[in-house]
Amino acid sequence: MKTIQFLLVSVLFIGLAHGQEKYITKQGYISFFSHSPVEDIKADNNQVLSIIDTSNGQIAVSLLIQSFIFEKSLMQEHFNENYMESHKYPKAVFKGKIQDLGDLTADNKTVNIIGELTIRGITKPIETTAEIKKLDNNIVLNGDFLVEVKDYNIKIPSIVANNIAKTIKVSFELVHQPYN
Amino acid sequence: MNKKNILILLAVLAILGGYLGIRMYNKPHVNVAESDPDLVLFSQTLLDDFESDEISANEKYLEQIIQVTGKIQKLGTANGNGTITLTNGTSMGSVICHLSEKENKKMVSLREGQEIMVKGICTGYLMDVILINCVLVN
Repeated sequence: MKTIQFLLVSVLFIGLAHGQEKYITKQGYISFFSHSPVEDIKADNNQVLSIIDTSNGQIAVSLLIQSFIFEKSLMQEHFNENYMESHKYPKAVFKGKIQDLGDLTADNKTVNIIGELTIRGITKPIETTAEIKKLDNNIVLNGDFLVEVKDYNIKIPSIVANNIAKTIKVSFELVHQPYN
Repeated sequence: MNKKNILILLAVLAILGGYLGIRMYNKPHVNVAESDPDLVLFSQTLLDDFESDEISANEKYLEQIIQVTGKIQKLGTANGNGTITLTNGTSMGSVICHLSEKENKKMVSLREGQEIMVKGICTGYLMDVILINCVLVN
């Protein structure tokens, strides 16, 4: 955890002298969606921290597992205690780079993002596309990607195996404001 | 016991089991407003604990209902719900309280610089300590 924190803080401070290149949100939105023949499950997190450095396209996103809110409290309980073990692994972290960021305008443009996603202490490479634009001096990043449950060694008991998808869709909507 | 009685007993058990199952499935979320806090402290103490040793602070505070007293640095909104940032001004971090939907209307009575008491569930520490489902305590 200390390393992650160090990395986040480093990303934030390296090149602070350059002024208006860092953009941050502390209340980004990330949700995930699991579709199965039995039921659809959705959870929302409105406390996502994300920092973009526009000088090099670096992006660091971190969130707290316990900040995910489910409609059913029982699901939230199982998610935290059994599947994600959020006491042991309270965070999920993404570190990566937006490829060919270039100049941003008020119109969405599609960019590739390549990086590493750490969930439950397991780090896997990940690549996705996203829409990015600059609106009223805010950098808005939207998109979604798929996560395989088995990649992160999440054990789903066979009794509920049909209720939970093998592949989870993660959506993000991050409105970054200029830092300082 | 004859066969009929056993069947009736089984039926009663099945209905009871089903009822309890449905109740479990629909168990409501923790009602922060009506719950007593597990811990009462200053927002700065909470922040200091996370900044000095995050792992032990996680063990102590995660998922607990925490009541903090602190000074409002900033009022804001996130996806339609109010947020209150508490800080003493000297730390880089702060305690960010995300209000529950019902509490939003109380935001208008708050001013920056005011000292308040807030109760919410601690979900951990990013750059700041996060409390969610917060309610104001008078």
